[in-house]
Amino acid sequence: MRIVLLRRKKPLKYGSALTIGLSLALGVVLFTVFAWIIGLNPLLVLYTISSSFVFPGTVKDFLVLTLLGYALLVAFKGSLWNIGAEGQFHIALLPTVYVTLICFFTLEQVPAYVSVAVILLSIVLATIAGALWGGLAGAIKAYAGVDEVPVTLILNYIAYYIGNILILGPFQGKYVYGYKRTDMLPDPYRVSIIVRVPSTGNPLLDSVFAYVRELIMYFAWILGLLVVVLLVRWLFNNTTLGLRIKVLGSNPDYLVTLGYDVKKLTVVTFMISGAIVGFTAALYFHGYLYRLEYPLEYVSGQYGYLAILVTWLSLLEIRLIPVSAYIVASLIMGSQRLVALPEVKKALEAAGFYGVETSFRLLMFGSILLTYSIMRFLQEYELKVIRE
Amino acid sequence: MTPEAFLDMVIGILPAFATFYMVALGHSIFEKAGILNLAIDGVFFAATGAAVVGAVGLGNPVYGSILAAVVAAILGLFMSFVLTYLPISHGAVGLSLQFLGYGLGIVFGYSVRLAVGAIYSYAYSRDAVYEITLVALAIGVLVHLLVEKTKLGSAIRACGENPHAAAALGVNVIATRLIAGALGFALIGLGSSLFVLLWVRIWDIKTYTLGYGWLAFAVALAAGRHPLFLIPIALLFGGLVDLQTTIQARLKVPADVAKLVPFVGALVLMLAYSMTRLRRVFAQPTSLGKPYYKEEKSI
Amino acid sequence: MTKTFPGDVVALENVSIDIARGEFTAILGENGAGKSTLVKILYGVYVADKGVIRIEGREVQIKNPTDAIKNGIVMVSQIPQLIDRLTVEENLSLSLARLGLLSSPRKLRKTIEEVSGKLKTKIDPTAKVWSLTYTQKQIVEIIRAVMLGAKLLILDEALTYLPLEERRKFYAYLKEFKEQGGAVVFTTHKIPEALEVADRIYVLRRGRLVGSLTREEATLDKVRELMFGEAAKQITYERFSEPYSVPPGRSIIEVKNLRVLGDFEELAVRDVSLVVREGEIVGIAGVVGNGQRELLEAVVGLRPVSGGAIIIDGVEITRKGVSTTRELGVGFIPDQPLRYAASSENTVLENIAALFSRKNLIIRWNEMKSLTQKLIREFAIWPPREEAHVKLLSGGNIMKVVVSREITYARKALVAYNPTRGLDEVTATHVRRCIRNKAEKERVAVLFASEDLDEVLQLSDSVYVMNSGKLYGPFDPVKTPREEIEKFMVV
Repeated sequence: MRIVLLRRKKPLKYGSALTIGLSLALGVVLFTVFAWIIGLNPLLVLYTISSSFVFPGTVKDFLVLTLLGYALLVAFKGSLWNIGAEGQFHIALLPTVYVTLICFFTLEQVPAYVSVAVILLSIVLATIAGALWGGLAGAIKAYAGVDEVPVTLILNYIAYYIGNILILGPFQGKYVYGYKRTDMLPDPYRVSIIVRVPSTGNPLLDSVFAYVRELIMYFAWILGLLVVVLLVRWLFNNTTLGLRIKVLGSNPDYLVTLGYDVKKLTVVTFMISGAIVGFTAALYFHGYLYRLEYPLEYVSGQYGYLAILVTWLSLLEIRLIPVSAYIVASLIMGSQRLVALPEVKKALEAAGFYGVETSFRLLMFGSILLTYSIMRFLQEYELKVIRE
Repeated sequence: MTPEAFLDMVIGILPAFATFYMVALGHSIFEKAGILNLAIDGVFFAATGAAVVGAVGLGNPVYGSILAAVVAAILGLFMSFVLTYLPISHGAVGLSLQFLGYGLGIVFGYSVRLAVGAIYSYAYSRDAVYEITLVALAIGVLVHLLVEKTKLGSAIRACGENPHAAAALGVNVIATRLIAGALGFALIGLGSSLFVLLWVRIWDIKTYTLGYGWLAFAVALAAGRHPLFLIPIALLFGGLVDLQTTIQARLKVPADVAKLVPFVGALVLMLAYSMTRLRRVFAQPTSLGKPYYKEEKSI
Repeated sequence: MTKTFPGDVVALENVSIDIARGEFTAILGENGAGKSTLVKILYGVYVADKGVIRIEGREVQIKNPTDAIKNGIVMVSQIPQLIDRLTVEENLSLSLARLGLLSSPRKLRKTIEEVSGKLKTKIDPTAKVWSLTYTQKQIVEIIRAVMLGAKLLILDEALTYLPLEERRKFYAYLKEFKEQGGAVVFTTHKIPEALEVADRIYVLRRGRLVGSLTREEATLDKVRELMFGEAAKQITYERFSEPYSVPPGRSIIEVKNLRVLGDFEELAVRDVSLVVREGEIVGIAGVVGNGQRELLEAVVGLRPVSGGAIIIDGVEITRKGVSTTRELGVGFIPDQPLRYAASSENTVLENIAALFSRKNLIIRWNEMKSLTQKLIREFAIWPPREEAHVKLLSGGNIMKVVVSREITYARKALVAYNPTRGLDEVTATHVRRCIRNKAEKERVAVLFASEDLDEVLQLSDSVYVMNSGKLYGPFDPVKTPREEIEKFMVV
């Protein structure tokens, strides 16, 4: 009896759903088993994680991850592994800070048209900055032939250090009592809509209201998201450029034979990807972040890396990105809430699991990614048992 | 600068050199067998954690290096096994292991840190740097001989160039890659142990954000994964990183600028490699990163 | 033997053959008939769904090439399975390492000298494999088989595209081999090759054994009928029309003193000049590896030119690149089309739209769809769905997509390398007829190279031979005797 690996001739039915579901399930199961081993109540773990799916805090992460998911989708469809979303994100934050906190900083109210103009300028410059930083990675890959993964990663580090230099330098806040941060974003430039809802006394109703409140707060992001979705859909369904990116992802040699400039295409694809990242960074700054702190690393919450998981889990299907983003956002929220619980913290420390917050997140992230990468092959190949 | 001062400087960066050299060397053997190694930074960090566990737990820095090598080798075996048996993306698995490595490193190292605080006293003595450097160079020469002159070396190179033809010729591709995986990652682990136990002599949770594994990646790339050509480039990078504080003081620039220099250097090096004749002389293995699937269509 | 591949493709159904010691056994069948599958099962590359292998009456299990080699079976394929960047010695010592056969370097060199001497070709053991000619590489493969102690040698179309004179060198050696008690099995789709030396011929058609003939019984007609059955009517190796039956027009492709470097920096094309005019078909014959591929790639703009000039329809495109060439309306069928001319993760429709939408920003899907459907019908592409992903198609069908697409796209010129490789004979005949029509009716200039001399002779108005980077000719395909052309092909 042998087990043989064969390429599928007919695509697996519900293949997408199966792969995503299976890898997530496996990741969560591994995680829960591990939690049980170190003495945690697995039910507690499962409850916390599943309740995070409807937790209001998940909305923010969901929106950011969906936007970044689309950004990476554009690159990944061309088989260009843009691991540099972190760097593009950070670089894009720099012009937003420059515009809002240096050029047009104000401590008073300003007329509406000024607010709008400044915000728009900031978003535009951030988008361009993201596009350029992405394009740089693309150019290095295309014209120097260097693998884009180490290049984008190194560019992440460079962006991070550039940001730090600026925060301690010209971007240093004037109203921060010497702390290593920038000033706060003035009220007129914020785009979040704050709605106060009084407590109804009913916890279920309260959480529903809280959830809706989050959605309203980030309304601007939802608008931005719609724009991005429409653009990306149009790109891949109707334009020659989109088709070329798809072919780039499958067989760049074919593009060469067709007479297209693969190098230019690589740069353009990276630029589009970086542009969406930059756009997202601006929205994030104007809607939530409001300032930059030193060191820059903790600012973006590792969204750039999480987005990789989002895009991979979506199997590069445009419709599935929000689904996958929601799942990842909930898992992250789940792990955060879990680790914040006092009994969990104690159990983890007792088990020798120090550096809890970060390592937990990294291990969960890594193992889901790993199971996914391995399970992915089931979509293309099948295992057959041959009896002799 | 006087010759003595120069010599002093070189000796000063030997620990950094030994670290980068071993990590880049192990990475090179691994990739010569055709598997793309994007887990390097994660394995680096995980191994540093294992190194302090070994050094503090067993009382001798040598045990730290051994434990680091073993832990890394296990990761290497896993990676080469999975990527040879299943036709999946090398990059995806590598990146996953990178994050797992970060997490594992924190688990290993933080407990030690909480237990003993500074690991300074458990590290190699300052004088050990000479012996360790000699050992590192010796390993480098041995690896070079292995790859160029032995059958195992030919087999490893064959797997990296064309695993299908290698299999047709009769090479046991899975066994060869497993050996390259264990050996290569063990050396990475060794180099990582030198980082905490010889060079910086501190273990900190934030070490995983340093990205030194990627610098080693760039070093290996630019040197064409050649055990002997790695030496000068590892030396250069050892210097760029180790002398950050010197650069900072001399040029009066912020700390972050000095930290920036090695990364910009890495980028420049990768560009120089790709855009000059170096690329042809030091070509990468033809099948590097290609998923290995038997029974291909042919026409 | 019965073997089915995923997608319910029946490759072999109940095929039984006997291979005798001291004999040349030929397995004849067109592309896709199953002959390659059969010998691959024998060599352990595939495992049959049903069936047994018996050696001298004893049943044996062959699950991988190592098992086969242990039983004395060694296979040499059409494409040498050697590692280019390693030397001849290193490649050979790798095979031996696996099977625990220790061999001193001296014994290795002696065997290399001995076998290559018998085959009258010199081979330097320390040479890197990429620097060898195709014939030399195949000799290295035979040396490997000898060193592994082969008793049954399988040649899977290994000699099919060599000129007769080169083939004869191998035959002389193989004759000695079989007279010493060995057995030789070779597969081919060329009837003359089978009739040349075979003691017994098995004919396969669509996965079934349709005939078993001895040397005395085998005639060209009988074998043809067995190979193709009903479809024999649609196949012809005869010319469609006389050379230059339609007078050519102005010069479309002009190559002047061209020098082109190959993949390993060697000079692959040496001072080649030729002209292809409107409505003219120029065919280049030659054994693989003599520069034809590099020449065609340079003409299309895919390979940089080190010297000389290329002019297409009056426009000098020497340093301009593929984009310009495509815009001028040149179709191109490259070597290894599965790798370079098709995108497996995209659909058939997308593969075709990618070429025809070159100039547009927005894709006109309706136009592309009707074009694709037309091509699917005309060339009988299976499965006949434009939404099918190319990776699900068989090799032959992907080739049909590529060929139909490029022939249709060619407005001024068509450049092709092995245009019918891997296609079944009916489709191959259809493709050749299309190309002939394209030239005669639409006045397209055709420049093609083929390792198949028969194809070159059937299709061209003018024949050239490429040898070691130099071009010889032109020859008249009808009037020049075949042996004379083949003489130029020998290295």
